[in-house]
Amino acid sequence: MTLTAEADGSPQQIAGSTSTEQDSQTAPDYFASLGLIWGYLGASKFRMGAAIVLATLATACELLPVWAVYAVLDAAVAGTLTWGFVGAQSLLALVGVVVGGIALGFALGLSHLVAFDAIHRLRLDIARHMAKLPLGYFSRRRSGDARKLVIDEPEKLELIVAHGLPEGVSALSMWLAVSVWLFAVDWRMALAAIFVTPVSFILLFTAMSRSSHRAAEYQQAGARMNASIVEYLAGMPVVKVFNRTGESLAETSNAVRDYTRVETEWARDYIPLGGSFYTLVLSNVVFILPIGLWFVSTGSLSLPALIFFVLLGANYSQPLLKLFNQFHSLAHISMGSTLVADLLAEPPQTDTDQRVAFPNHDIAFEGVSFGYTDQDVLHDVSFLAKTGEITALVGPSGSGKSTVASLVPRFWDVGSGRVTIGGINVRDVGLDQLMDTVAFVFQDTFLFSGTIADNIRFGRPDASDAEVEAAAKAARAHDFIIRMDKSYETPLGEHGAALSGGERQRLAIARAILKDAPIIILDEATAFADPDNEAAIQEAIGALTRGRTLIVVAHRLHTIAPAHQILVMKDGRLVERGRHDDLLSGDGLYARMWTDYTESRRVTYREASDVGQLEPSP
Amino acid sequence: MSSAQSIETRSDLESLARVWALSGPLRGKVAAGIAYKFLQSACLGIAFGAVIWSVSRLAEGEALTSSEIWQVAGVMVLSLVGQCLFGFLSVSSSWVASYETAGRLRLTILDHLANLPMRFHLSRHQGDTVTALTADMETLANFMSDALPRIAQAFGLPVIVLVYLFWQDWRVGLVALGSVAVALPVFLWSSRRLARLGIRRQDMQAHAGARMIEYAQGIAVIRAFNRLAKGEESYRSALKDFRDISVKMVIDLTAPLVLFGMVLMLGVPVVLAISGSRHIGGESDIGNLVSCLVIVFALYAPLLSLIGVMELTRIADASLTRIDRIITARPLPAPALPRTPDGFEVAFKNVSFSYEPGKPVLRDVSFSVPERSITAIVGASGSGKSTLLNLVARFWDVDDGMIQIGGSDIREIAPEDLNSHVTMVFQSVYLFAGTIRDNIALGRTGASNEQIERAARAAQAHDFITRLPDGYDTEIGEGGSTLSGGERQRLSIARAILKDAPIVLLDEATAAIDPTNERAIQQAFSELVRNKTLIVVAHKLSTVRNADQILVLGDGGILERGHHESLVDAGGLYASLWERWTSAADWRIGA
Repeated sequence: MTLTAEADGSPQQIAGSTSTEQDSQTAPDYFASLGLIWGYLGASKFRMGAAIVLATLATACELLPVWAVYAVLDAAVAGTLTWGFVGAQSLLALVGVVVGGIALGFALGLSHLVAFDAIHRLRLDIARHMAKLPLGYFSRRRSGDARKLVIDEPEKLELIVAHGLPEGVSALSMWLAVSVWLFAVDWRMALAAIFVTPVSFILLFTAMSRSSHRAAEYQQAGARMNASIVEYLAGMPVVKVFNRTGESLAETSNAVRDYTRVETEWARDYIPLGGSFYTLVLSNVVFILPIGLWFVSTGSLSLPALIFFVLLGANYSQPLLKLFNQFHSLAHISMGSTLVADLLAEPPQTDTDQRVAFPNHDIAFEGVSFGYTDQDVLHDVSFLAKTGEITALVGPSGSGKSTVASLVPRFWDVGSGRVTIGGINVRDVGLDQLMDTVAFVFQDTFLFSGTIADNIRFGRPDASDAEVEAAAKAARAHDFIIRMDKSYETPLGEHGAALSGGERQRLAIARAILKDAPIIILDEATAFADPDNEAAIQEAIGALTRGRTLIVVAHRLHTIAPAHQILVMKDGRLVERGRHDDLLSGDGLYARMWTDYTESRRVTYREASDVGQLEPSP
Repeated sequence: MSSAQSIETRSDLESLARVWALSGPLRGKVAAGIAYKFLQSACLGIAFGAVIWSVSRLAEGEALTSSEIWQVAGVMVLSLVGQCLFGFLSVSSSWVASYETAGRLRLTILDHLANLPMRFHLSRHQGDTVTALTADMETLANFMSDALPRIAQAFGLPVIVLVYLFWQDWRVGLVALGSVAVALPVFLWSSRRLARLGIRRQDMQAHAGARMIEYAQGIAVIRAFNRLAKGEESYRSALKDFRDISVKMVIDLTAPLVLFGMVLMLGVPVVLAISGSRHIGGESDIGNLVSCLVIVFALYAPLLSLIGVMELTRIADASLTRIDRIITARPLPAPALPRTPDGFEVAFKNVSFSYEPGKPVLRDVSFSVPERSITAIVGASGSGKSTLLNLVARFWDVDDGMIQIGGSDIREIAPEDLNSHVTMVFQSVYLFAGTIRDNIALGRTGASNEQIERAARAAQAHDFITRLPDGYDTEIGEGGSTLSGGERQRLSIARAILKDAPIVLLDEATAAIDPTNERAIQQAFSELVRNKTLIVVAHKLSTVRNADQILVLGDGGILERGHHESLVDAGGLYASLWERWTSAADWRIGA
């Protein structure tokens, strides 16, 4: 939680809210964050209102001691000061401090509670919404984005709800009240008290616009420095092995120096006017006193009135400064809120919610074209994968194999044509049923924190221990599991056991086996296996297939050579199809790939050693 | 993690001392920035002096002459000019000092990072180091440019006011000081409390955050297994935990901070009561009363801003801790009298090693790799195969025993010399932003275009490079993302071929790539290792059939060693690995 801090904002801090958006075409929405969180205040709106009222009360209470001091001075100058009056005014000031403090405490407490509740609701909504998006949406995003959208950006909204709203409103009402009061007492003195405030704000805006041309340069220098540091660190092993620390360091050092230079120049541009703002904006008393003294000497102002202006007018700009800072953080936070709002605006995947009866589990692609963007990556793909058979997808990197596989469980929806299961368009099947029907083993195995058993049981929550173990055995995972410290109860995740890629894949396969779905899709499920694991995994997959429809994407051709049907893809098209032997005799792409494959499995590092083979050491 | 962090937590004063130490040669400017801020406050004090002087004169019934009014106006203008001038000087010094300190620290740390062992880099998230150099440094700079002068400002005017009050009426001064004296312990107490709770909340936040991220990352699996309800449940409870701790923190924190403000401001009614009654009692005149009361707000308002400083200090402290973790890391010890390797034989002598104490990866491992021979390392994942390579390249140092190259302990060979003897091809390929030519040329300083092209040809990369629109001058994006995995791997091999070091350490990638790329990479490897001393971590047993020596690693040691035929004949672990490797080719899915 953050407590507001009023500071001499540096140009980078001040301009940070506006400069990044200068690059983008659309006008920034400074109030996006308010709009976003407003919808999630829900039932808390009343408590929010109460927090605002309390915050305003607290600010009003701040005026009580000022009033009390003024009243005592007024009486003292008039010579009518009494014990009782001093006592009463001291009490009034005391009440002001105590009630103000308590009101502030409650206002802050309430507004924070509201903020946490609203953010909680927002995050739940984000989670629910994410669950409804096409899965493809996530495959295009880095995991860092998830963190930003679910954690960091909503967290920043705390500042707006817990501080921005109550403090902004109370600062605004304080400013209005003081302005009215000053003018009510003496309009000439009021003008003297406040005229420096707009002047100083003009100075600030001039300073900002005068140095704003540096914003783009500053952003670039910052981006260059960050990128350079990231590269410097990521490439560290390579740089060290190739003895290039000097060169690599030189480039990064230049980026750092350049950034410091730009930063310093910007500051130098900004300081003369921007720095003066913070002095001038709080210097009202400098003008109040001489002008007030003049009016007193001409008899048109009483001494108590002068004291009143000195006490109240001296801090006239304070609430405006507060308001300015609040607006500044609002604008800053709104940039991120736009991202969250965009996510929430992303249309969810259509879902018929229907349960259908599949006559069989044949998968058919009928003239399917598809593109992630405007450009198609699949062109007119048609094939039939029959129940009880294995259909393999092979082809060079980027030929569209995995894309084909991902269209079956509707990770994406086709652009044209259709994908059917048992003759029924997958779009007409309720998502629940579709997910129950298809088991998909991903190339990148994702395991959850929790025990190994938890992860396997993810396939079917009500599975017994015996069933979990049977699935692990079928996936050839049982052996390595029982070798671990706590066997099936071994925790995984950040502080848990580290598994190799092959081991993780076997757990994922066990999970899929336990799910016992009629359609199984393996997307390079053995890609990370070393030879020992690979053989085991292949046996496991063999166990999976009986009576099911199996689609396999693989690079290691021997694993798919026995498939009932091999589909060869290139550049998003199906170029060959058939059984292994037929394709080999066809002398096409598959035959060439097979040659490469067998060759690469025959190559040794050296045909004949120059030094002769060593005898085994004892 | 939490315990380590709490140990590293500093008090506010210690954080200030650390910032002071880090500002090094720029201390003068930092100090000047603080001093100017103090003078700025003093100039504001002059304005208040003028207010007090003229108001008490009027209160005592003496009218001001017009020349006196002009003088007052002059003093006010002077005060304003002084404030602006010193404000300008202060901001100039402290901003420039903070930017320069951040820049200087970044350069020092970058330099330091290059000297740190790979052990340091590989055992922590790279993102943490990047954060320390960018965001954390920014926080530190903001702290120096903002918080330090604000502390000066918070105390500047109050000190002047207190001195004045004591001079006017020591009893009032004492009373005014009283609330400050009571409030300061409250401040220090809440500051410490804030720091402690802040760490707990950070931990909770990290924990809940990890579960939320897990949900977001695992959503594909959650949906594929139709487990939305289950996934949401864990997410929901993570969110709830986080909200609950946040609520508790607010209740815990709001109270002491509000209390600090209240206790401080209680000085106003107390001063009002005391000075009012002393005036009625005839112990102070009207001028006295006016000056005390007019000035009393100037005493407390600046001190209130310390609350904001406390917050800034806490944020800066977290950044300081992360920066210090890098600064305090020790580089590898360099040999005092470097030795030159005699030949290129690599020998492990009774080597023991562990990444974490108590979890040995290698125990008493000995073997030797004669010059220009091939040694293949096979074994289950986690048996320490890649570790062997990392030790030869001195990414880590052995715990026990030694590794020799050409008869010299590698710890006694000058690091540059060791580097020039050894090249390493990693499982994961890293290419730098720049052209393809630049990336290959990284292998050798001053390589000619012919040499680069020859290396690319040997690495089976020349053909695909020349098919690119700009050939060798094609820019590759961040991380070389426009090339396929196989092409990137071949560029990294070309780089190693160009380096032409006599000892090659090769960590075969486990991930399968398409057969055409796979074959090209195998051929490139064969070129790279021609006539070299090679240690290879092998996953495809076919490639190492002809190795001069095969080491089977397991249980922290070498389980079997020998050449292919003898190991297959021996019928041990290797024989069964080989059996599976060859039988995999005959495997029938579901048949």
